[in-house]
Amino acid sequence: MLEESLASQNGIVTNTNSTYIDTDGNSTVAVDVRSISKIFRIYHGKNPSLKDAILKGKRVTYEEFLALDNVSFSVYKGETFGIIGPNGSGKSTLLKLIARILVPNSGEIVINGSVSALLELGAGFHADLTGRENIYINAAILGMKKREIDKKFDEIVRFSELERFIDTPVKNYSSGMYMRLGFSVAINVNPDILLVDEVLAVGDQAFQSKCYQVIYDFMRRGKTIIIVSHDLETISDLCKRVAFLKNGKIEDIGNPIVVINKYRSYIEEMERKRIIEQQKEERKKIFKSLVEGERKVIDGEEIDKLSRVSINGEVVNRFGSGDAEIKRIRLVDKDGKDVDFCKYGDEVNIVMDVLFNTEVEDPIFGIRITDHRGNIVYGTNNRLNNIRSGTFKKGDLVKVIFSQRIVFIGGTYFVSPSVGYKDTKTYCDWVNNMLTINVIHHNRAEGIADLNSEITIEKISS
Amino acid sequence: MISNFKKLFSYHELLFSLTRKELKVKYRGSALGFFWSLLNPILVMLVYSFVFSIVMRLGIKHYAIFLISVLLPFNFLSNSVNYGANSIVANGNLINKIYFPREIIPLSIVLANLTNFFFELIALFIVLGIMGYKFYIYLHILPLVILVQFFLVSGVTLVVSSLTVFFRDLQHLIGIIMMIWFFGTPVIYPLSMVPEKFQFIMKANPMTVFSIFYRNIFYYVNYPEELQFPTLKVILMAVVVSLFVFFLGYFVFKKLEPRFTEEI
Repeated sequence: MLEESLASQNGIVTNTNSTYIDTDGNSTVAVDVRSISKIFRIYHGKNPSLKDAILKGKRVTYEEFLALDNVSFSVYKGETFGIIGPNGSGKSTLLKLIARILVPNSGEIVINGSVSALLELGAGFHADLTGRENIYINAAILGMKKREIDKKFDEIVRFSELERFIDTPVKNYSSGMYMRLGFSVAINVNPDILLVDEVLAVGDQAFQSKCYQVIYDFMRRGKTIIIVSHDLETISDLCKRVAFLKNGKIEDIGNPIVVINKYRSYIEEMERKRIIEQQKEERKKIFKSLVEGERKVIDGEEIDKLSRVSINGEVVNRFGSGDAEIKRIRLVDKDGKDVDFCKYGDEVNIVMDVLFNTEVEDPIFGIRITDHRGNIVYGTNNRLNNIRSGTFKKGDLVKVIFSQRIVFIGGTYFVSPSVGYKDTKTYCDWVNNMLTINVIHHNRAEGIADLNSEITIEKISS
Repeated sequence: MISNFKKLFSYHELLFSLTRKELKVKYRGSALGFFWSLLNPILVMLVYSFVFSIVMRLGIKHYAIFLISVLLPFNFLSNSVNYGANSIVANGNLINKIYFPREIIPLSIVLANLTNFFFELIALFIVLGIMGYKFYIYLHILPLVILVQFFLVSGVTLVVSSLTVFFRDLQHLIGIIMMIWFFGTPVIYPLSMVPEKFQFIMKANPMTVFSIFYRNIFYYVNYPEELQFPTLKVILMAVVVSLFVFFLGYFVFKKLEPRFTEEI
């Protein structure tokens, strides 16, 4: 059995100054990461030739990069644990350390049970060998014994849905088939602790749902799963706890909704900074063209407008030229009263006030409604409804009303209003999550929209 | 070291499975498949026989047998080292994604070449049998010689495969080094042709000692007056050097192993 094979590796494996400790005790902790640091060397130029290394004593020049900085956390048995963070934050490095592919520079990792890592599907497949041969080799690499593979072979093939092609060399497989075979092998290794890195997006919809079933099955059987993903949906659906990694440090750890929201606002913050930075660049360009005395006439106001967004960072999540400004947005009930919540099925108006600073021809007024996870629930504008708005002059104050019936499942939703130019690509003003709507709903349902199913059950025969 | 060996043993199925893969991949897609293992030495034998018994005339009876009896074991060394040198780098995708003791990769190449060597020996036995050689007289020594050579070959392959990760130039240098080793070992010429004063230096090379054994077992067995086994001292030295190279190779490999992932 796999357990045996991995148990036989037990004992303390000491690497220069770090340790992995396998224990088979009855601890409730599956993976205990204790003050792990990992330094990568970033080399400048190519490796030195042997000649240079020996004759000239030339050393490689490199910079050190702290990929993980004193990270500690525990994953409990039977827990599904998510790791999120921007690119380069150290997520994959962390997973590779737990999988022992990398060795930490300091700290230790205690692992209770056998580990299998789904870091890349079909790693080590050999193109010239058949699916059958590759299953045996890949499963052996993942730590399975020949006996076990024999026993599970049919199951692996069935799961991959490649029965007809199993004796075809994998070089003739499509990439989807390749991935499916890889996933089927990996999932049948049946470890105590499963590490998953962005590999759930495999194959078509049907296969994906099969993959999720396997993951859920794993969870039900009380296995420990650690998932690294950019897909926040998946993370929030699967995970009991989530760690948000930033620049090699744990920024936050705990409840998925809380941590994911924190991560989302961080991403939005980054995006805003990027836009401000971009606009600064554009301003510089304009100034430059002014200084260089090009014959391009530039409206003096344009420079002001471009700088508007970055005023002390006070206006959050807002971008656009400023030719029009969204002054206010309200949720109004059918009696004309401002409210901040409504019930399922209520008729409400979303009202926004827009002030024009310049003449704008045929602006597009739009709203976008998102749920707490940032999924777009609904979005519309006057153009999509074939309503022309006409031309507005400087100083015009405009009220735009979106009359809605709220058919959402209970929860919190956010409205982002926008005023766009008629080119549909650029904006006068866009404000993220300017309005919050709390929807109260007593029906038992899941998802976003309530389609109000009527359920009837009939017996056809007995 | 002992815990490393234990761990390696727990992965023995993977080692064998990768060895089988090596062999399968080698012959996959070629029409004659594994018969190349048998055909190759015969063709090489024909070429060398032509050169050394017709063109250069060394005056050695049955030169083909004289040569092939040492060429096959030497090929076991040189093929292992040549293929093994690049093995860690070439399997980078595996090393980057899955954990297992990395020495399995070069060792599987050594084992695949060893298996190949066995097939070639079978072909050799058939040829010897047809020619009426009494190759079975000293055959009981053969397993021991192969075992000691296996340690030497593994050691060299381990060192070379791990160093190549850090010095990629090595893979180009290996060809030359192996050629020097080839000519420094009595493969195409008999040891007796070497001037007396160089003979001791040559015997420090364990491959020389193995050559003497292989040649005695397969060739000189037919010319008993030429049979000359090395002294115990020389044999011991070959064994000690081979084992030393093996443990050194393993030690170097394990020392460098933690950095493989980052260097590939």
